[in-house]
Amino acid sequence: MSAGTLSGPSIPRRLARQTGSLLAVTIRHPFSLLVSLVLLYAAWIVGEGVVSWGIVHATFLAEDRSSCDPAGACWAFIVNRLPQFAFGFYPEQERWRALLVVLAPPSLMLLAVVPEFRGRRVIMVTGFGLYPFLAFMLLAGGLPGLPEVSTEKWGGLTLTMIVGMSAFVLSFPLAIVLALARTSGLPALRLVAAGFIEFWRGLPLVAILFMSVIMLPLFLPPDVEAPRLSLALAGITFYSASYLAEVVRGGLQGIGRGQYEAAGALGFGFWNMQGYVVMPQALRSVVPAIVNTAIALFKDTTYVMVVGLFDLLNIVVAGLSDAHWVGLAAEGYIFVGVIYWTICFGMSRMSARFEQRDKPNRPAENTLGMSR
Amino acid sequence: MSEALISVRSLCKWYGAWCALDHVSLEVRAGSCTVLCGPSGSGKSTLLRCLNGLEEWEAGDVIIGGCPVARRARDLRRLRREVGMVFQSFNLFPHLDALANVTIAPRVVGRQRRADAERAGMALLARVGLADQARKLPADLSGGQQQRVAIARALAMAPRALLFDEPTSALDPESIKEVLDIMVELAESGTTMVVVTHEMGFARHVAHNVIFMDRGRIVEAADPASFFKAPASERARAFLGEIGATPVA
Ligand SMILES: Nc1ncnc2c1ncn2[C@@H]1O[C@H](COP(=O)(O)OP(=O)(O)OP(=O)(O)O)[C@@H](O)[C@H]1O
Ligand SMILES: [Mg+2]
Repeated sequence: MSAGTLSGPSIPRRLARQTGSLLAVTIRHPFSLLVSLVLLYAAWIVGEGVVSWGIVHATFLAEDRSSCDPAGACWAFIVNRLPQFAFGFYPEQERWRALLVVLAPPSLMLLAVVPEFRGRRVIMVTGFGLYPFLAFMLLAGGLPGLPEVSTEKWGGLTLTMIVGMSAFVLSFPLAIVLALARTSGLPALRLVAAGFIEFWRGLPLVAILFMSVIMLPLFLPPDVEAPRLSLALAGITFYSASYLAEVVRGGLQGIGRGQYEAAGALGFGFWNMQGYVVMPQALRSVVPAIVNTAIALFKDTTYVMVVGLFDLLNIVVAGLSDAHWVGLAAEGYIFVGVIYWTICFGMSRMSARFEQRDKPNRPAENTLGMSR
Repeated sequence: MSEALISVRSLCKWYGAWCALDHVSLEVRAGSCTVLCGPSGSGKSTLLRCLNGLEEWEAGDVIIGGCPVARRARDLRRLRREVGMVFQSFNLFPHLDALANVTIAPRVVGRQRRADAERAGMALLARVGLADQARKLPADLSGGQQQRVAIARALAMAPRALLFDEPTSALDPESIKEVLDIMVELAESGTTMVVVTHEMGFARHVAHNVIFMDRGRIVEAADPASFFKAPASERARAFLGEIGATPVA
């Protein structure tokens, strides 16, 4: 495709760029046109069913199941229970605290997508970095003006958000340390890091959750009573760190010896070298894998139900057995699915924007070859 | 005659059973330009890397400005700050633009304020003729431009001496000239330099001393005029013949 295509076939090409290559292919090949029509028809049949069930015949406001139109979805179940799905059993007059905790991560993610401004990176890094601590303090309360709320009352999307975000944020520094230890020159460090990673990565998350809730307290001083939530969070954090450490290690392998030598020759010490030269390059090169891990982790937080925590999925499932709303599994699971999908899609868009902005710039050194 | 800024006494280094440096001794006067040459594998890079502590050695001393350098990590780091290095493959930091490459060490290692470091960095980029390329990433610069940024980066820590390991070997002829011009200017303005290079023109006209190495030993150390006119050793004569620098003045 070169100069000749500039005038003639450029219209299908432009179309292809705008509407996806499907349309352009269709214009050029009659058989594809046929296939497309069949597919469109199928999509219409399915889509029509979904729209009619989910919107046209759906009931959004009702007191119980029996007042819902049986021909459509009974979204009234979701609407009635929305506060509980969002905030669990958090006391009603304190819910603004839970709302802040739920809204903070999406707002920080939005910052990644808006145009560059001064200090954005600092805001995002400190925002995400402090989130686990601030969110925990805000929800737990016990400060002047903030009445204490026991972790037993936390639930729903609030719990999902705080567990998923905190586990990821807390596991990040741990993962970096593990990856550095695993690639270090000291055999003892390498062994410890490899042992830690293989241990936590080799266990199913469900087993880890049971273990942390039952066994971690045995290692704590007898007078310290850690809430189940914190114990579960610790387990998920180690689990996530072991996966993330391997991702980071992959990034480290792409950094040439020349980078270490150049930084060393300028007088950089170990941690400065890591912080300013090695990690910025290593992490950037594995952004897709990091986001992949983050998405998987976020969905894995649903396993906290096995230790009796009411995250979003668990609280919706529990609501399904309410006598007033019996038999609404489809609505419940679709709702949960849409929420999870939206958050994960948001993460994926955020990473796509990052990749676009700072494409990894590989220097000429790779093509020139090293001195030996 | 000013005194030695760098002295090396009986330096020995082994890679396993292979003796890469065999009782190497040399002196580099402050403000002088020393060219190291010799066949491939003769230990030139190894010697250079010992001079700024990138490589550890087994025996002997490296003395910078009168202070012997112990082989402790802290001493090595101080040594590295005082002796800058320019590499054959540039080794610029690919995630930082040209100016940030130059300012990162003064800011992080030297704890300078950003504004100060950037002012000094711009001046250095201007000195290597790249003031207008300050915001470009290394990948968007030509080889010669990258090497000039690397020189500015090394100068930014205000080192007492600058080491060059085949700085022009990865470049095309035009870029070689760009980089050599900068190096000539540095030498003329009194920068202490140790240069590993096969550019015999540079050695002949700019260097104060030429050191010829073979198999980990210094075979010959002389001023360029006598080295190029009449190399004392058979090996140096053969080497000069091989790389096409005839021993005729
Ligand atoms: N990391 C290493 N491990 C083992 N041997 C090494 C190592 N680095 C260098 N050597 C050996 O030490 C000797 C000196 O190497 P050095 O790189 O100093 O040579 P050089 O004079 O710079 O050669 P060139 O002109 O090819 O760069 C060589 O024989 C080389 O094989
Ligand atoms: Mg070499």
